[in-house]
Amino acid sequence: MKDFLKLKNINLTFGKEKILDGLNLSINKGQFIAITGVSGSGKTSLLRIICGLEKPNDGEVHLDNNILLNDKISIPTEKRNIGLVIQEKVLFPHLNVKKNIEFGISTKNNKQDISKDIMEKLNILDLAKKYPHELSGGESQRVALGRSIVMKPKVLMFDEPFTGLDKELKIKIYPIIKSILLKNEITAIMVTHDLNEVKALADQCYNLKNGKLIEI
Amino acid sequence: MLVVFCIFLIPILYIIGSIFLGFSDNFYHIYDNLLFEYSINSIFLVFGVSILVTILGVSTAWLVTFFNFYGKKFFQWALILPLAVPSYLLAYVFTEFFEFSGTANNILRYLLNTESDVIFFPNIRTIWGAITVFSFTLYPYVYMVARVAFMNIPFSIIEASFLLGKNSISTLFSLSIPLIRPAIIAGVTLVAMETLADFGAVQHFAIPTFTTGIFRTWTGLYDLTTALQLSSILLFIIFIFLSFERRSRNKIQFSNSESKNNSFHSIQLTSFKNAFAFFVCFIPVFIGFFLPVIELINWSTQVDTLISSKIIIAAKNTLYVSSSATILTCFIALLINYIVRSFGLSQSFNDLLSIGYAVPGLILAVGITKMFTSIDFILTDLNIYITGSIFGLVLAYIIKSYAISNNVINSSFTSIPLSIDESAKTLKTNRFSILRKIHIPLLKTGLLTAFLLVMGELIKELPATLILRPFNFDTLSVSVYLLASEERMFEAAFPGLMIIIFGLIPIYFLNNLILSNSK
Repeated sequence: MKDFLKLKNINLTFGKEKILDGLNLSINKGQFIAITGVSGSGKTSLLRIICGLEKPNDGEVHLDNNILLNDKISIPTEKRNIGLVIQEKVLFPHLNVKKNIEFGISTKNNKQDISKDIMEKLNILDLAKKYPHELSGGESQRVALGRSIVMKPKVLMFDEPFTGLDKELKIKIYPIIKSILLKNEITAIMVTHDLNEVKALADQCYNLKNGKLIEI
Repeated sequence: MLVVFCIFLIPILYIIGSIFLGFSDNFYHIYDNLLFEYSINSIFLVFGVSILVTILGVSTAWLVTFFNFYGKKFFQWALILPLAVPSYLLAYVFTEFFEFSGTANNILRYLLNTESDVIFFPNIRTIWGAITVFSFTLYPYVYMVARVAFMNIPFSIIEASFLLGKNSISTLFSLSIPLIRPAIIAGVTLVAMETLADFGAVQHFAIPTFTTGIFRTWTGLYDLTTALQLSSILLFIIFIFLSFERRSRNKIQFSNSESKNNSFHSIQLTSFKNAFAFFVCFIPVFIGFFLPVIELINWSTQVDTLISSKIIIAAKNTLYVSSSATILTCFIALLINYIVRSFGLSQSFNDLLSIGYAVPGLILAVGITKMFTSIDFILTDLNIYITGSIFGLVLAYIIKSYAISNNVINSSFTSIPLSIDESAKTLKTNRFSILRKIHIPLLKTGLLTAFLLVMGELIKELPATLILRPFNFDTLSVSVYLLASEERMFEAAFPGLMIIIFGLIPIYFLNNLILSNSK
């Protein structure tokens, strides 16, 4: 599907500083795009606007022919069905890996099967009963990824999720992510500084500069 | 040091030791006929208050932490104002306010234009009334810990919950409350201990509990040993709560383990939700603080002589005894913390001295009386008697409030790097000079805070004061109690207001402490 996610004329300022300046973006269903840019260029803010954690000064966000945001409407984050995996540890510290993954699943019937399936795919089944403080950086990221994927989001966004992971682990994890996204037809946006990541995962790459996206 | 240790712990040992003295007929009579009633009432009271303070404290803390609504800035600090109102004072106000000819019934009769014999409110002097009174004066304990714990949850974790499809209410129950559960338990346990230790409110509501039972056994049956034995049962229960509180407090670290997220944005509430949030926060502040203050002001205007000579003497006595005890408490805490720091004395020694805060004032008074009568017995040849002197009261105050001053002074001491002491030593400064020239100037703010916190607490203390005060020595709290027990409420109003005004001083410091934590 064309124009599955569409951003129109997004403007964002922090004080007097213009972060996003009439930004436009259009992504097709199942497409994986990467966004690069220098620190402070507004990459994270762009992702937060898409999932509703931040409000721009003006602009529109459409997803699957539905309006998520315009000057009159703002659909709350929990109703957008957009996932976000970030670098910071955001696993719930009081829940073990299994419960973390099952946190957002609303169906009661096959909750266990769904979580088991994703844990197998991400090779974290043996961590099911461990708590976040017992996990390494790579393990935490895989759990966070699994937790987002089981929600079957329409769009899954990654904000430098693999920073700090060792090269070998990255090489192992890229094809797993790619295959899960393809199988579930999940549209993805990734913010990264790593060109190897772009090559391994993205179909298209943009650079965010002066508040606008430039295709590279 | 050993003297301090003995003075602090002997009254408590007297209470515990009483169970080995054998049981009198009075004890068996109480055991057969009254103990069950004391236990059931105490348990029901604690259970009811715990539920209500959890609802009030957690809901208000959640609203002011995560949302923007009308009056939020005011409620952030106003929600702790009821701490300035002692439970017994709210009990007196409630009784009069809701009684047949009280303000509440009169207002409704006027508004609804009904007959003068119509009653709108049920009798408040019941266990339900007591639960309400305790809940609206003690909920700030839960509010404060819950608010600090909510603020310590990284907002990125809350955002992760939103991203996983949970709305604010669902996030509260499935994430935020489980995360801050240890803090809530710690707060509720403190409330439970305060409820069990209370004497003034339950006495006024005529509810037979452990404290009223102890008081009656002593002053009615004149049986100090049985009173001590009943005290030891209550003390045992209090210590169970204390161990819960300590365990929960240690677990709070768990919820604070992640770093705070700087991109915290409160959610703006609109229309109905905004009004609802305002209402939820307004009710506890109004009932717990503004209602008693307005009613006490109203009563004060109805007496001919607002400031009688008796009240002036009571105020002087209050300031005299509480300031003396406060200075001594802060001095002892300063000295002991200095010794712990400079002479390597174990911190657990300091912790043991702090245990007095958990002992109800009434029980402490019983223990001190027993200790003093034993000392009097030894000193009888010298014709010196200390029972009934001001020393007992000051000692009770010191033991009861040591933990408060120790907490403040200990944390202030911790903020001074040990390297400063070491540098001073290399400059040939002796240990005493380090305390005088370096520590005390650096601890000035901590010492002042400790002084005000202890002072505010002691001014409203009732049970220990009631028992240990010297003959003809009334304080503000005792005056209020005595006047209220004679149903002279209008005369009790002004000293009651003075207690609240004094109580507002430490509230100001507590509020600053919470605000500094949020920055």
